[in-house]
Formats: sequence, C-alpha cells, structure tokens
Amino acid sequence: MTTTEQHSGFKQIQVEDFRITEEPFYLPISDEIELFETAYAQKVPVLLKGPTGSGKTRFVEYMSWKLHQHIGNVEAEGVPLITVACHEDLTASDLVGRYLLEGDDTRWIDGPITRAVKVGAICYLDEIVEARKDTTVLIHPLTDYRRLLPIDKRGELLESADGFLLVMSYNPGYQSALKDLKHSTRQRFMAIEFDYPPRDQEAEIIHRESGVDRAVAQELAKLAEKVRNLKEHGLAEGVSTRLLVYTGKLIAHGIRPRRACQTAIVWALTDDIEVQRSIEEVVTSIFDE
Amino acid sequence: MTLSPDLVTRFSAELRGFGSSLPDDFARAAEAVAEVLTPEEVERWAQSGVDLANHSLRSWEAAAEYFRASPDMARRVGFAGLQHWVDVSTTLSARSSLIAAAFLKSSPSALDVLSAHELDAWSQQGDRLCRGNWKSIALAALYFQTSPALFQSLSLEAVGRLVDIIDQLTERSYELATTCLENSAPIFAGLHAADREPFLRFARAVTRASWADTRLYFERGPRLIEAVDASQRATFLDLASRVTMAVGRQGFPLFADAATALAEVETADHAELLGFATRLAPGSPQAAMEFLKSAPFVRTRLTADQMQRWAETGAEILTVEHNAEGSEAFFRLESTRAEEMMRTLSARVELTSVNGMLRMYAKALSGEQVSVQSTESLVDKNIGWMSEASATTEGTAIYLPPFVNTFEEQAANFQVYKVFTTHQTARIEFGSFGYRWAEPGVHAPVTVPDREARRAEAPITVAVAEGESEPKVRGEAATAIQRYFNLFADRPLIGGLFTVVEDTRIDAWVSREYGGIRRWLRRLQSYEADHRPEVRTMGLRQGFVENLLRVSLARPETVRWPTTLQEYLLRGIAALKVIEQPGATVQDSAEVAAAIYDIIVSLPNIVADLPEGDWVAPDEDMISIAPGMPSGGGEGEPGMMPNGEEVAFENPPQPEFRGDFKPELVQLLMKLKLQQQGQQQDGVNSPLTKEQLMELLENSAEITISEWAEGDLASSLGMFLSNLEKEAGTPAGDPKQKGEGDTGDQPGGGDGSDDEDLPMRIDYFYYDEWDFRAADYRPRWTRVGERLLDEGDDDFYEETLRKYHGLVMETRRQFELMRPESFRKIKKLEDGHELELDDAIEFHVDKRAGVGPIARIYSRRNKVERDVAVAFLLDMSASTDEEIEKQRQKYDKDDDDDFDGDPRKYFQWLAQRRARQAIEPPKRIIDLEKESTVLVVEALEAIGDSYGIFGFSGYGRENVEFHVIKDLDEAFDDRVRRRISKIEPIRSTRMGPAIRHTIHKLNEYDAKVKILILVSDGRPQDHGYGRDRTEKEYAVHDTKQALVEAKRDGITPFLITVDKEGHDYLKQMCDDIGYEVVDNIDSLPRRLPTLYRHLAAE
Ligand SMILES: Nc1ncnc2c1ncn2[C@@H]1O[C@H](COP(=O)(O)OP(=O)(O)OP(=O)(O)O)[C@@H](O)[C@H]1O
Ligand SMILES: [Mg+2]
Repeated sequence: MTTTEQHSGFKQIQVEDFRITEEPFYLPISDEIELFETAYAQKVPVLLKGPTGSGKTRFVEYMSWKLHQHIGNVEAEGVPLITVACHEDLTASDLVGRYLLEGDDTRWIDGPITRAVKVGAICYLDEIVEARKDTTVLIHPLTDYRRLLPIDKRGELLESADGFLLVMSYNPGYQSALKDLKHSTRQRFMAIEFDYPPRDQEAEIIHRESGVDRAVAQELAKLAEKVRNLKEHGLAEGVSTRLLVYTGKLIAHGIRPRRACQTAIVWALTDDIEVQRSIEEVVTSIFDE
Repeated sequence: MTLSPDLVTRFSAELRGFGSSLPDDFARAAEAVAEVLTPEEVERWAQSGVDLANHSLRSWEAAAEYFRASPDMARRVGFAGLQHWVDVSTTLSARSSLIAAAFLKSSPSALDVLSAHELDAWSQQGDRLCRGNWKSIALAALYFQTSPALFQSLSLEAVGRLVDIIDQLTERSYELATTCLENSAPIFAGLHAADREPFLRFARAVTRASWADTRLYFERGPRLIEAVDASQRATFLDLASRVTMAVGRQGFPLFADAATALAEVETADHAELLGFATRLAPGSPQAAMEFLKSAPFVRTRLTADQMQRWAETGAEILTVEHNAEGSEAFFRLESTRAEEMMRTLSARVELTSVNGMLRMYAKALSGEQVSVQSTESLVDKNIGWMSEASATTEGTAIYLPPFVNTFEEQAANFQVYKVFTTHQTARIEFGSFGYRWAEPGVHAPVTVPDREARRAEAPITVAVAEGESEPKVRGEAATAIQRYFNLFADRPLIGGLFTVVEDTRIDAWVSREYGGIRRWLRRLQSYEADHRPEVRTMGLRQGFVENLLRVSLARPETVRWPTTLQEYLLRGIAALKVIEQPGATVQDSAEVAAAIYDIIVSLPNIVADLPEGDWVAPDEDMISIAPGMPSGGGEGEPGMMPNGEEVAFENPPQPEFRGDFKPELVQLLMKLKLQQQGQQQDGVNSPLTKEQLMELLENSAEITISEWAEGDLASSLGMFLSNLEKEAGTPAGDPKQKGEGDTGDQPGGGDGSDDEDLPMRIDYFYYDEWDFRAADYRPRWTRVGERLLDEGDDDFYEETLRKYHGLVMETRRQFELMRPESFRKIKKLEDGHELELDDAIEFHVDKRAGVGPIARIYSRRNKVERDVAVAFLLDMSASTDEEIEKQRQKYDKDDDDDFDGDPRKYFQWLAQRRARQAIEPPKRIIDLEKESTVLVVEALEAIGDSYGIFGFSGYGRENVEFHVIKDLDEAFDDRVRRRISKIEPIRSTRMGPAIRHTIHKLNEYDAKVKILILVSDGRPQDHGYGRDRTEKEYAVHDTKQALVEAKRDGITPFLITVDKEGHDYLKQMCDDIGYEVVDNIDSLPRRLPTLYRHLAAE
C-alpha cells in the first residue's frame, strides 16, 4: 500500500488503495442488502434512487465493506470503493483519464473510472444527473454485457476486472424535466429505492449515529414524519435523516431540543418565513423545551 | 274699587262695530281690571284698547287679546306697565295684527319668566323675524306663541340666538324655519340644563355650514346625544361645533357618526375619549371625529390602556410629523400603520393572520390535505354546524373561530389557536371519525352486536326519555356510527357521552404524542374547569356527564356529586380512565360510552335536593381510581335515591378548546363523498337511499332541526340534504389556495371539456393602496379579481401577422440576434473546445519557472439557459378606445403650430389625413396594444423566454378586473390567440392594484430575471382613485408606489405609453423607472429588441 504519512497528521492514499476497514453502521430498512449482494455477484449495475440524506452513500460504503469476504482475487481488506461526485462540468477525461505535460513529454494518468475498472472496485457515481449527457454515454459499454471501457485518447479498450461494479445515485425529487436521465442510461441499471426510514428505525439510526438518548431520538423521528408531510406543500424536500442526526448530535451535546431543531432543521430546510413558523410550531408541539 | 257702568256702556258701544265678541271681552276685562286700577286708569286703559282696535283693518283681533290678557297683566305690571305694553303692541300691530295678537296673548305667561323691562327686547326678537310677507308674519306670530315655553328652558338672550338661527334659515326655507321653531321648545325642554347652550351653539354652526342639516339636527340631535355620558354631552357638542366650523358641510354627518359610535362604547369611557378628541381637534378637527368613530371597533380589540398607546401614535403623526391627512387616515383605520400597531398591541389574535401557518401545521401533524378556514364559512354552508364560536372539523377541513381573545397576552391567545388546531387535527389523525361497526378496540370488549340483538327483541321498552309515544321502526343505518347511536333510546345522552369520552381519548393522545403542547393543553383544561356551570342545579344524569367532563379536564377535585350515589360515579370514572390508556381507539370510545350510558340511565334525571354536606368533593379513592370497565349488568340496587324534581336531559356545554364534534354528520359526509366518486365502501350497506338519509337527519342529536328549519320540515330537510350532497361533491382542501403549493389534485376526471360548462372562475386577491397624503398604505383597500379573458375568433391574430408580415420577420430576426449572448465562455480549463492562446503561453512560462503544473489552457462555450420571465400588463380601460390620430392631431397642433401661418399646409395635412382614414379605419390605442402584443408574442416565442400577458380594467377599488390572456406558465396556443383578439376597452384604470397583482404573479414564478412591462395610455383614473374625478395625484402616486414595490421585489418595471400628453405624468411617476412613449406601431419592432435586451440583461 502506498500510504504517505504527512507531518501535519492527515493521511494521503491512492483511491484504489482506500479500504473501509471498520464496519460502517448501516441499519437495513428492507431487503436492499440482499438485492445488492445478488446484483454484485451477477454483475448487474445498480442505481440507488432516493432523496438526499436517506443513506445511499452510507449503504454503498457498508456494502463495500461487507462484500470483501466474497471476493477471492482481491486483498482481504475488502472491495475498494471509488466515489465520483458528479457535476455539470464533469467531462469524459475527468472520468477516464488524460495526458499531462511533463517536461517536454506527456504522461497519461488514469481517471477514477479507469482505476476502478482496473482494480475491480465499486465505482460510485454520486448524483449522476448532474453530469453532462455526453459524459454519461461513456459508461454505456461498461454497463452492458461487454463490461468494456474504451479509452479513446490512447486507442485502448479496457476489460473490467472481476470485482468491478458501477453504482450510481440519483435523487428524483428536485430534478427538472431538463435534467432527467436518458432512458438508454437508466435502463442499464437495476434500481434500489431509498426513502426515509419508518419512524422506529429512523429513531434507532438517530440514536446510534448521534448518541442522543432513545426517547429524544424517537421524538426527532416523529418530528421528521410530520415535517415530511409538508413536502410539496410548502417544502421542496422533507427533512433528511442526515439533518436529524445532526440535530441529535446538538442535543446530545447540550443544546436545548427546540433550539437544536430550529437551527439544524427549520432554518436548514427553508427560507420561507411562514413555512419556518409552521415547522417551528410543530417542533414546539413535540418538544417542551 | 267699583266700575262705573257708564264706562262699560260707553266703550261697548264704540266696540260694537268690530267682531261680535269684542264688547263682551271688554266688559269682562273691565270688571277685573277695575279691581287693580283707579277709575281714571281704567278709562285710559279702555281707550287704549279702542285705539288698538281702530288702528288697522284687522287690529280688533289684537284688541281682543289685549282685553283678555289685561286682568292678568294689570296684576303683574300695574298701570304704567300696561301702558308700555300696549305701546309695544301697537307698534307690532303696525306690522301685523296677527303678530300683535300673538304677542299680547303670550305676554302673561312670558312674564312668568321675564321681567317687565325685558318686554321690549322680547318683542324686538319677534319683530326681527317679520319681513312683511305673510310667511314671515306667520313665523313671527309663531315665535310669540312658543316663546313662553322656550323661556322655560332658555334665557332671553339664548332665545335671541335661536332667533338668529331661525332667521338665517328663512333665507333658504320658511318651511324649514317654521318646523325648527315649532320643535325648539320641546327639544330644549327635553335637554339637560347644561346641554342647552352647547346644543344651541352647535345648531348655529350646523346652520352656517349646511343649512339643510339643521332639520336633521333638530330631529335626530337630541336622541343622538342622549347616548353620550351626561357629564360629557356639553364637551361633545362643543367639539362638534368646533369641527363643523372647520370642516363645513361634513360637520353634521361626522357628529352623527361620532355620536352613534359613542353609543357603542361604555359611558364610563366617554370622558377619556372626548378628552383625547378635544386634544386632537385644534390640529385636525377631522381626526378628532374619526378617532371617536373608530373608538368602538378599536375598543373591541384593545384594552383602554392599549388604546391610549395606539391613539398617541396617531396624535404624534399630527403633532410631531405635522401630517394631518396621515393622522386622519390613521384614525379612520385606513392606514397600515394604524392596523399594524393595533395588531401588535392587541392581545386578540385574528384567524386571518395565522391561518396560513396553522394550515401547514395541521397538514404536518395529520399528513392530510386539510385546510384551515373560518367557522363562519362552515356555518354558511348550512350543513348542520351552527356555532361560529366553536372550533370543529367536518373531516377534511379545520374550522376555527375568526378570532381568539381568551387571555390577555397575544402569545397566549395564539397558543389557544394552536390547541384548537391540534385538537381538531388530532381527531383526524387519531381517527375520531373512523368508527367501524363491531370492530374490536384495544382495551374494551365488543358489546355492540349483543346490544343490537337485545334491542331487536325489546325495541320499545327503552323509550323513556323520548317524547315520542309511537315507536318507530328504524330502517337500516346509513353509517356505522349511526348504527351505533341507534342502539340507545336517549340519543342526546349517548351523543354527549360519546363526545366526552372521545374528546378525553383525543386529549390523552395529544398529551402523549405532543409533549410540547401539553402545558398549554393543561392550562386550557384548567381554564375550562374553572368556568364550568354549577352541578348541583343539574339533573343527575346531566350532572353525571358534567362530572365526567371535569375529570376529563384533569381536574377531578372540581367534581360534586351526592354522597349516597358515589358508587355510580366511581364506576363511570373508572370506565373513562380506560380510554386514557395508550393505544385506545375510537372503538374503545364507543364501548366505554355505552358502558357509562348503562350506568347513567339507571339514575333518574332529577335535581337532587340535598343539603351541602351530602355532596362529595372527590377523595383519594376517586382521584386515584384505576381504569376498569364496569362489570356486566352489575347495576345493583340503586342506593338511597335523593328526592327531587325530574327535569329534561340536556348535555352540559362543551369546553371551548374541544369545539363541536359531529361524528354522525362527518361519517355521512364521507360516505356521500365516496358515493359521488363512485367508490363503494365496505361495511354498512350502500348506496344510501333518500329515506335513510332523512331518517338519519331526523334522529341525529347532532343537528337541532328547529334551529334551521323554517316552516315545512320535509322541504327544509330536503334542502339541507342537497347542501350536504353539494358539500360532498366539492373536492377536499382549500378552495381558494389553488396553485399555491397545493397542486390542484382534484379527484374525478377534470379534463378540458368540463371547463367549458363551468361559470367563469374568478379568484380574488386583496392589495393595499398607497395614500400619499397620509404617507401610508390603506390596508386591503383594493380587490383584484383574476379571470381568464374570453376567447374571440382566430382571425385577428392571423390578420395582424399578414398585415405586418415584414415587421414580424424583422422583429424576430432582431430577437434571434440576441441569442448568442446567452452563451458564456469558460476559460482556464484543463480540457476544452478551444485553446486559449494567452493561457497557453503563460503556462509555458510558468513551467519553465517551475510552477503551475496543470495546463489550464482550454476554454469552452457553455450554453447558459436563459432564465427570464416577463409580464406584459395591458391597459384595457375605456380611454384606450380613443383614436391615435385624433391624439396626434391634438398635439400636432399644440406642438408645431407650423401651418397656423400657412393655411395651404394645413389643408394639405388635412387632405392627407382624410386619405389615410379612407383606406383604413382610424386606429385606436387598444388596437396598437393588440397588434404590439402579436408582435411581441412572435418575438418571444422565437427567443424562448417565459412570458405572460395580462389586461386590466374595472370600476372602483372593489372591482379591479385582471384578465389573463396568457399566464406565465401557460403554453402559447390557439386559445391564447383567440383571447388576444378579445382585448378591448372596458372601464376604468386603477393601475396600482393591477401592478401589484402582476408582481404577485411574478414573485410566484421562478426565474432569475423578471420584467414587468406596463402598456397604457398613461392616465391612471378610476372611481375613488383620488379626492375627486379630476385629481390625478393620488392615482399617480399609488401607481408609482406600486412600481417601486416591483423594484423592491427584484422585478424590473418598464412603462410603455401610447400617449404623448401622458408624458408628464409618466415623468413624475418614473423618475428612476424606465419609460418610453410610442405613438406608432412601426417604431415598436425597432425599439423592442434593444429595449428588451437592455431589460433582460443579467
Ligand atoms: N439505514 C441507515 N443506517 C445508518 N445510517 C443511516 C441510514 N440511513 C441514513 N443514515 C444516516 O444518514 C446520513 C446521511 O446518509 P447518506 O450520506 O448516505 O445520504 P445520501 O442518500 O447519500 O444523501 P445524498 O443524496 O445527499 O448524498 C448518514 O450519514 C447516516 O448517519
Ligand atoms: Mg450521498
């Protein structure tokens, strides 16, 4: 492993060397683990659909950790996970790789997807719809039976290593019609739907993740349920599990519940004064201080 | 002294030529006079009479009065006085014997008050009224007739002032003067002594300001001031005089309104109110009166102290800001400042100010599309809910009273609203209306099927409390809850019990689920418990329910119950506690209520006549009793039943925060709704028959038929039923909140074809208006009705395109040229479409120098989505009907008087004009607007920006019409095309509200750049849009203010006007707002793209 210890205390490692070594906490909501495991074994690309903060990233991390026992050809630490956050200006070269000038020569460096294909990693394209359409086409040959990555600039064709799997995430909520996935892209993936967990499970997650006691976690989960009722009736998005975890952390560290909810939920969710007040009223109905 | 018979004979003879009674009058008087006067004096007295009689043709009538009044007068004034008296009379008789007669006749009673030497002054007052014509003579005579009565309440001097007033009135109308004089005596007699002078002073002011109002004042004044506190009437009248002197003809109406207002305020407050008004009066008499007029309304919202603080602010506008108009508007409550101040000061919370927020709150809690509305609207629907004071729900909406004023702090009253809302929402959330027949609950065993069976066996025996003698065979129930209620003979009792039990369950759920609101729930429960009616005067059954209610309000210590019957109550309370346990459902409530019903009906409904000591306050046992259902049938022997009178059962009143509960009606409504949607529901038999419905309504304890049925019961029921059916047909959710987040999710097929048959839909919006004089907004002053413009034919659009083919093409080309601007070049990329030479060179230099390892030398053009929304607002007022040519002619003449000196030029011009007109009809402003619209549409379609086209007109502030030709998010299609052809002049031009509504629409629309283009003839004008018809200032200021508001909201306003004369208004309106004058459609395409590019620049 090519880890460089720096003086200032941070660790710098190559992406393909990154391993999740400790079991991430993931609370299964339904049969998603089984689905993913099967997909992985059968090399079926996976699309994770769901609102922000509903556990997609956490799920992929968990799966990457969990799947390491099943892979024979890679080191025992597990399946590497290479994550790419997609954005508007993401180009094909950003994913595949490009030449850099080095002195009078040039040097090729692999992009993340190329690396993943080579080492047999899970390549996780977060928020795929943000990427430009011409970029998304690039993954087409990778995601059908061929599992090939063409590298145009070098005139090469790369065959994926065994453990390689392409996983994308996608939040169908706030996308406009403009930014929808092309059908030819969509239909190369099986989809696992994520949604915010039911009250009790969400309470458990909040409790485990934030350290706040179970009773408060339960109330936070209840609050979340109520606030989510406002989705599309004043709110563009319901409150995410992530925000609830943040709120739990604030409360666990001494901030009063009403105040914690105000800063981490109410203000984070919307700028509309009336909606803010309505949510605050829900908060004060649930928490008495 | 004796009277010489000779004298009588002598004078009688002289008097014989006059009226037949004169000698007799004389003879009788002589006899009496002789007792007071010496014979010589009698002689001279008699001679004076004869002289008077001979004075003129009809003066014998005066003489008759002279003789008749003489005995009395002689005694009062003696001989010298008599002499003077007759002299005065003679002078008067020179004017008219009628006047003299009246004077003479009234003299003795006048002297009851006046002293002898005041006779002259008195006679002169009457004399003054006489102008020689017969009307004035009659008036003067009337004056003398009524004066003795007047002197009872007014001094001579004051009567003199009254005469002034009467005299002044005669210049306008003798009839009016007469009426006023006639009424004066009783009026002044009816007034308090201290009020008479002030009343007179105000009368004088009124007469001067507006003579015709004097009649009204004399008629209504006394009654009006009667309502004013006695010690304050004089102050009030003096204030009114002062105001009237300042404001003129408005004086009396202001007085009348202020008096009416004072009548609505407690008299104890009058002194303070009037004191304050008097303080305002010097600065603005008008403000003083407006203050009084608003007082009753303000007092309903503010305490005396708060009102004082509020009023001080209004006074400061006057005294510190020196803005009289502002202060008047403030006190007239036509000012945002006044309203806002009131809102902040007042403890009272209005539903309108919290409604939107509570709606979202209720949605959040329940997860349903509930709306929040005022109870007033539910009562209006006439579907069984009668009370505007109680919160309630009919299953889809929450109805709240229009305001809450329970506590003294605003925050507390808001919490009251919140508890109201939470309770009603909880009914929906925790299933109060979801009762299902015979389904098990969590805590109580199911008994209803057994009860039904038992009831079938012995259907009549239970009908004790019911007034009906003939048992009716009940048909099958329409709803599950009705089937349940049918089990019980006493419907009001089971209804009341079910309500108490179910509300207890709901409160328990709310307390458990919403820890934060518990404190306020407790406070309200406690508040209610402290305001319960006396138990001891109730019948036992009613008292039982009342006590359960108190327990359910968590205040068991307020229970009062006969000691001997304690067992009964204990069992009832234990049963009630079952429902407070976690998980309890409405099924449990039904069973618990049934069990308690059994206990209660074993008691007679008598008012127990017991000594104080025989009523228990609750002990430990009662407070800490464990939940438990009463053991089956264990009614036991009734203990010592107290004596007392049997009374009819009536449910005790519901605590306010729980509101009205009508599960039977709600289930019926829900069922009707499902039926109308064609969905069949499981459970009780459907569909409903008319008979079933009628039976439900007749038997239900939830509606009091007598309260709304007038006359024929069957037809009232029928009407009621059709109301219910109509209600069931209307979709859930807010009717008015369409498109405001609530995506119009109407159930049932709502395809386009249905729309055609619907009546025109108008959505109303309210906007403030700017009153520049008051420097404040008039709150919710205008009402804008938004509707779709009718569709005309297709021809116009096509025609215009054809006519201006070249222009259209040119405009389009111009607009298309704008497009490349929307591409943005991004530089410093590692990879891109083009190499940036500068960057590349720099990179190589850097590299030589050993820095800058990444080659960011490429650039790329990114297409930036245009994000522009523009709203066109077209003036559709009547003035746009004007021909443009005519206008041009007008200013042509004004501006360049060229041809004045050269008639040939003029005729040339005229001939040209005629020729032009012969080819095409004269073009009106509206035509120009319409044609430009076509051009603009074509251009904007080419460029792809979002745009809306709206027209406005209307009449008066309540009727601003806003016509949608194309909404911002609507696609351009044939319908829009047809609507454009329907653009035509309608009525007035109130620009402010139309602009404000357009702002509202743009604010709702999501775009980076927003533009509002107002196309008009530049003349805002409407009824009441200014002090009078000709004033422009008010309208111009309001319009300008609206445009400023647009800017404040990040919208770029722009004005296009088709009126050169309007230039000046526009300049004033637009100091820093863009404007342009267009008088020719040909110049539009050249201007538009430049203009638009300029406006839409990011
Ligand atoms: N099922 C779960 N088990 C454990 N933690 C969870 C679960 N679901 C959500 N979380 C918590 O919520 C947080 C947010 O989840 P995550 O970052 O995976 O969301 P995401 O769906 O990837 O959101 P985004 O779309 O914004 O990237 C996690 O950090 C974790 O604390
Ligand atoms: Mg994520």
